[in-house]
Amino acid sequence: MLNHGGHPRRIASTGQGRGSWLAGLLVFLAFAGAPLLGLAQDAAGQAGGVAYRDLPAVGSRNIVWVIAQLHLLLAGFVLGVPIFAWICEIVGWKTGEKRYDKLAKEFTKLLTSSYATTALFGGILLFMLIGFYPKLMSYLADIFFPSFVVYCILFLLETATLYLYWYGWDAMQEGGKKKLHLILGFFLNVFAFFIMIVPNSWATFQASPVVLAEGSDMARAWAATWNPTWWPVNIHRLIANVVLGGYICGAYAGIRYLSAKTAEEREHYDWMGYVGNFIGVFGLLPLPFAGYWLMREIYQYNQQMGITLMGGFLSWLFILQAMLIGVLFLGSNYYFWMGITHRIPGSEAKYRKPIMSMLVILLLCLGVWMTPHSLVASLEEARKMGGTHHPLLGVFGVMSAKMTVANLMILVTFMSFIMYWRAGKEETAGWAKVAKAIMSGVLGVAAIVVIVLGVWGYFVPAIIRINYFSVAQVLIVLFVMLTITPLTALLLRSAKTTTEMVWGKMPPRAGYALVLNAVMVILLMTLMGYARSSSRVHWHIYGVMRDSSQYAFSPALGYAAAFMSLCTFLFCMLVAFIFWVATMGDKAKAGESGGKGKLPGAMPAMAGGSQQLDEK
Amino acid sequence: MSEVVVLQMIGLVVIGLGVSILLFIEARFVRVVGFVMIVLGLFSMTALGVPQMASLPPAEEKFDVANIKTANDMAAIGQKIFFSKGQCALCHSIGPSESARCPDLKGIGAKLTREFIYESLTQPQAYIYQDYRHEGPPKEYPARMPYINKNPIGLSNNEILSVIAFLQQMSGEPITVSPSEITQPTQTAAVIPVAHAQ
Repeated sequence: MLNHGGHPRRIASTGQGRGSWLAGLLVFLAFAGAPLLGLAQDAAGQAGGVAYRDLPAVGSRNIVWVIAQLHLLLAGFVLGVPIFAWICEIVGWKTGEKRYDKLAKEFTKLLTSSYATTALFGGILLFMLIGFYPKLMSYLADIFFPSFVVYCILFLLETATLYLYWYGWDAMQEGGKKKLHLILGFFLNVFAFFIMIVPNSWATFQASPVVLAEGSDMARAWAATWNPTWWPVNIHRLIANVVLGGYICGAYAGIRYLSAKTAEEREHYDWMGYVGNFIGVFGLLPLPFAGYWLMREIYQYNQQMGITLMGGFLSWLFILQAMLIGVLFLGSNYYFWMGITHRIPGSEAKYRKPIMSMLVILLLCLGVWMTPHSLVASLEEARKMGGTHHPLLGVFGVMSAKMTVANLMILVTFMSFIMYWRAGKEETAGWAKVAKAIMSGVLGVAAIVVIVLGVWGYFVPAIIRINYFSVAQVLIVLFVMLTITPLTALLLRSAKTTTEMVWGKMPPRAGYALVLNAVMVILLMTLMGYARSSSRVHWHIYGVMRDSSQYAFSPALGYAAAFMSLCTFLFCMLVAFIFWVATMGDKAKAGESGGKGKLPGAMPAMAGGSQQLDEK
Repeated sequence: MSEVVVLQMIGLVVIGLGVSILLFIEARFVRVVGFVMIVLGLFSMTALGVPQMASLPPAEEKFDVANIKTANDMAAIGQKIFFSKGQCALCHSIGPSESARCPDLKGIGAKLTREFIYESLTQPQAYIYQDYRHEGPPKEYPARMPYINKNPIGLSNNEILSVIAFLQQMSGEPITVSPSEITQPTQTAAVIPVAHAQ
């Protein structure tokens, strides 16, 4: 599953640093261990080359599924963290708040160990793919060989840049050197982006292949790379990686907050949780738009694939997706609301009503989003449903309603963030009233227009709704964000703080909310990985190379969900291990420093402690 | 015991373990692990609660010429192909449906000739027949009809003829496709072969 054909990656990096011994071990295991496993070859392969091998008892697909998913999640983490760290470093540089710089540094430190772990799983995955799917891998290698070379070069550049970025952090702190460091961070992310999009081309080629019968190797590789779903997936994954990085940072902060023993620790991890949640939400808001674009491209490329996803046997999957996204929206908003009521003393009464209103809107929207409608893939399912449409709530199950509520949920979440931003401050600018009236007007009109378009969508042909109404809804919500954000920033520039934010006062459930958000994001990634893989149905490469193995079927959602949960759990444990290993040295140092009576600023805190500590 | 029941039991055990950890263990990290187990268990149980539909590779209908004696035999095979390998029902409804992305095929066998249907399946862009409903303004659909005789659907000539027989039978029309037109599967050339690695 999970586009297993397209990820012969990361092996190049295992020759670097910590990964080198892992690469050696892998090579040894692959060559020495394979015969001992008693891998079963398919009968058809005996005469004309082996097409498939299987792993008895476990099943080749199951093991590839888990390894590929873990590798992809780790890769998302490894690519998301540099974006997160670089943004934090820039904020620290621009605002002069050192805690941001320390946060960025500590998260960059995680990269060295997580980079090696990602490479390890990439290597295992590559060996498995070559072993279990030799014919498919041979075909992909034949088409994509030029991009393999590009990929290796990119990896060398990324590794070198990472080393300079990490090891040069302390040496490049002042003046022009800091700018050079920021430029290094920029290139780190540029190379990481290209490292992401090259394997994306292999995976998306499997779903929407472009095959040239003639032409040079380069021309064939380029045509295959620039396939219809390549860029939509690139953008979707880029944003999703930012979301993953942010929410994992939040989850880490949540766990440390729960186990914090001192007031400083609580303050510090409370603040870190806020930053993680903020960056996660920042990425989450545009993510549905990128997903919408991807689905549009899939429909444009092949109607059957689109309908298989949205209205065929995978349609229940999108109800689960709605549930996960809904919980994520609720979790993120809940954390914002707790921030307002616990960090800003005296604000609870003021914001209770707006919060309750937003909660009701979110729950209603989630209810609509989760309503099933056109879910019939077969007569059997129709029988189970009692007809082609849901008997009671079919009217809310159509795309017109779902697009409307998704946009409304984004608007509500955006307003939660704006509310949090403005809480505890009083605008002093002379034009503040006008600005607030404009913002209220823009928000109100936008919400009304989104709803009107949604209702109108029931009465127009599908093509009008898809091509005009849905696009208009998305553009309206984007317009709201792009209007209100700069206006609020301008307004708050001259605002005076009426109530100082108090860190470290959040209740324990805030920590659990942050963990829940991270789990939701990881589950969503595993769910959509299954969706993209299953949308190819019984094809390795859609319409080009058929899957003729015993695993040519896509398993039902329940079975798949068990694997998603397993992968999510294993990934969480891996990340926890990486955090533990990366901070082990700090704890030891902190112990020594504490014993010598030094400042608590040297505590094992991941991100340099609170602002007060920075100022000491 | 079915696979779903086994998975549900595992899900319940995971949730129970998570609840036990939260109830009896003090260590914060372990408690968070317990919380994550509960969340994952609930997610799995929810996924197991929805209809369980696996997507199987389409069954290849066998055309045993000796056993296909009447046009109705062909229509019966065509019906199976319509709902499985042909993927027709993914987009088309049989009966009115406002949410359908493609034209309603009810009575299509009476409205269109056999040759027209054949052309619509094998050369779908040759002639776009918008006013198929014969009522109201022509309706433009977002979906584009795929080439049924090419991959990824790739119906053989025999299979296409059987689908036409089904469409005619469903419309209450006499079936104009004859079993004598069925060829031995090895002789069919309508399907573009699957490209292989070599």
